[in-house]
Amino acid sequence: MRLSYERKKGLYGYGFIALWFIGALFFFIIPVFESLYYSFFSVTPETGYLAITKLTDSSGAVNYFLNYRNAFLRDAYFSTYLVSVLRDMLINTPIIIIFSLFVAIVINQEFRGKTFARAVFFLPVIIATGPVYSIITGDLSTTGAAEADQFSSMFSSDMVDELLEFVGIYGISDTLTETISTLTSDILNLIWKCGIQIIIFLSALQGIPASAKEAAAIEGATSWEFFWKITIAYISPMLLVNLIYTIIDTFADPTNLVMERIIQQQDDWLYGYAAAMAWSYFLIVLVVIGIVFALMNKVVYYDD
Amino acid sequence: MAENVKTNPVSGFLKKIKPEKKPKEVKRSRKEERERFKKRLSTLTPAEQKYLNRKRMFEKVWPFCRALLIIGLCFVILYPLLYMLSTAFRPRSEMNDPTIVWIPKTFTLSNIKEAAKAMDFWPTLGNTVFINVGCSILQVLSCAITGYGFGRFNFKGKSILFFFVILMILMPSQIILIPQYMFFRYFNPLGIYHALTGNYINLINNALTMYMPAFTANGIRAGLFIFLYRQTFRGLPKELEDAAYLDGCSPLRTFVQIMVPNAGSTFLTVFLLSVVWYWNDYYVSTSFFTDNSTIALQLKNLEASLTRIIFDNGNVQVNSRELIVWMEGGCLISITPMLIMYIFLQRYFTEGIARSGLTGM
Repeated sequence: MRLSYERKKGLYGYGFIALWFIGALFFFIIPVFESLYYSFFSVTPETGYLAITKLTDSSGAVNYFLNYRNAFLRDAYFSTYLVSVLRDMLINTPIIIIFSLFVAIVINQEFRGKTFARAVFFLPVIIATGPVYSIITGDLSTTGAAEADQFSSMFSSDMVDELLEFVGIYGISDTLTETISTLTSDILNLIWKCGIQIIIFLSALQGIPASAKEAAAIEGATSWEFFWKITIAYISPMLLVNLIYTIIDTFADPTNLVMERIIQQQDDWLYGYAAAMAWSYFLIVLVVIGIVFALMNKVVYYDD
Repeated sequence: MAENVKTNPVSGFLKKIKPEKKPKEVKRSRKEERERFKKRLSTLTPAEQKYLNRKRMFEKVWPFCRALLIIGLCFVILYPLLYMLSTAFRPRSEMNDPTIVWIPKTFTLSNIKEAAKAMDFWPTLGNTVFINVGCSILQVLSCAITGYGFGRFNFKGKSILFFFVILMILMPSQIILIPQYMFFRYFNPLGIYHALTGNYINLINNALTMYMPAFTANGIRAGLFIFLYRQTFRGLPKELEDAAYLDGCSPLRTFVQIMVPNAGSTFLTVFLLSVVWYWNDYYVSTSFFTDNSTIALQLKNLEASLTRIIFDNGNVQVNSRELIVWMEGGCLISITPMLIMYIFLQRYFTEGIARSGLTGM
């Protein structure tokens, strides 16, 4: 039997992804559906297997969504943590995006020591994911060593409050001053979180065609106009990628409050409950990403 | 190529003996220079004048601001590393000396030696290299093969399969941890092992729990790597592949000999990120091991093991400021392998990133 060229190529395609598919089936797809299944039941480990029993509410009727109801209505922490993680994400994501875009634009320019500067700016990618980062920022205080704060305290200051008071503004809005001061005092944390985003933006900036730059220069565009009308347009696909990366990175960080709560439930052998929490959390993340997609869809420009 | 054809060897030779004279640079004083500029400026429209003036101002001020900014930010990033270097070689008593800010009066290696002892450094390093680095290298290859399959071939069900790749990126690994754990704890090869022998194989504490996902492109952040490779391979010209096929190359050979060499920078980026993420991981490698010791894990537990091994279960009194010297010493030896790797690869990494397929989605 002779296959057409296209069919043959298609078969080779299956060949190339076969390895991944087998792995994904056992290590990803089946576990995903299993954990979804767990989330509707009470799951406790017994020797040799997981005991899966149906959940019954107070009246004795079977209720498959009891785990979900408990997570949102009964759990004293889950909802509060969820709100605080969402709020942090809402504040941090734009800051991270703007800051990394700014840094990427600056280090994309020609200047002496460019290679060194770039190497330094990507350094956090190498270090910032592991326990080294927690030691550096002084979070790793298993003995409750308060002085451990001094690692990063060099860059924290009360400048904003003092400045505002100096100008004569007292207590305008606590949340506002709080946001500003966390922003300024947390520059270490901020810049250590931006490594990947800077890389992505830098690669996008280098993809701006020279013809666009030339055209803008001939028309006499100022740097400001150039930024808004050329740079933003060309990097907008990467802006979307970065936004989504940042959101996922914040959400899936095992040190955020919700994640800690989920892991804690797992450690207490409440597998079904933990799965329900994880799934509702994941669905919320998906909704957030969906909203970002819908909003960015109008802004993103594809140069075809 | 075109220039080579045009240049004829004789004219090149002539050039050598009779170098072209550069146009003489006219030396003018600053004042004259300014006069000339003003003269030229007066021939332009006011709008153009304004634009040029502003541009000139900006070009004068900006490099200064930029240098300030870059130096400042570089300092912020390097500060923890400099601090690490400064404290790791410092005797503990000098931590309490207010006259010492950066450079200690005496240097000592004992902190680092003791931290290394508490971390059981060399065996741990060997284990980390065996498990984490081995896995990350396997993952670089398996993700490349998968990414090529997704980037270059059309087959039925491709979009739904790729949807699962995207889901791999989006889904936190905690969701699937317990089913995965059960899979490894009661491992049932081919689904018939249990039926034949009545037993399961316990893979907990076995390096296979790390190697099997890495081998099948399902390791740590594999989704992201598959995605990166797919973007790269999609961006390579189709003609490359067609030419190879016409010459009778099989798809596998085309991949190895034609496509892989053209995706070098992506390979490098993925390799670096993969090694780093495996190196720093402690979450996955603790889930399937009860007594695994990797660098990241030992560093996480460094304070406890210091108390147990070096401080004689708390009989040696150490205040929290003095503890820093050991902690930073441990940090230093843990990141040194990564730093050395980064120093060697960073040039390719920072220069080549533009071609690594991130662009052109």
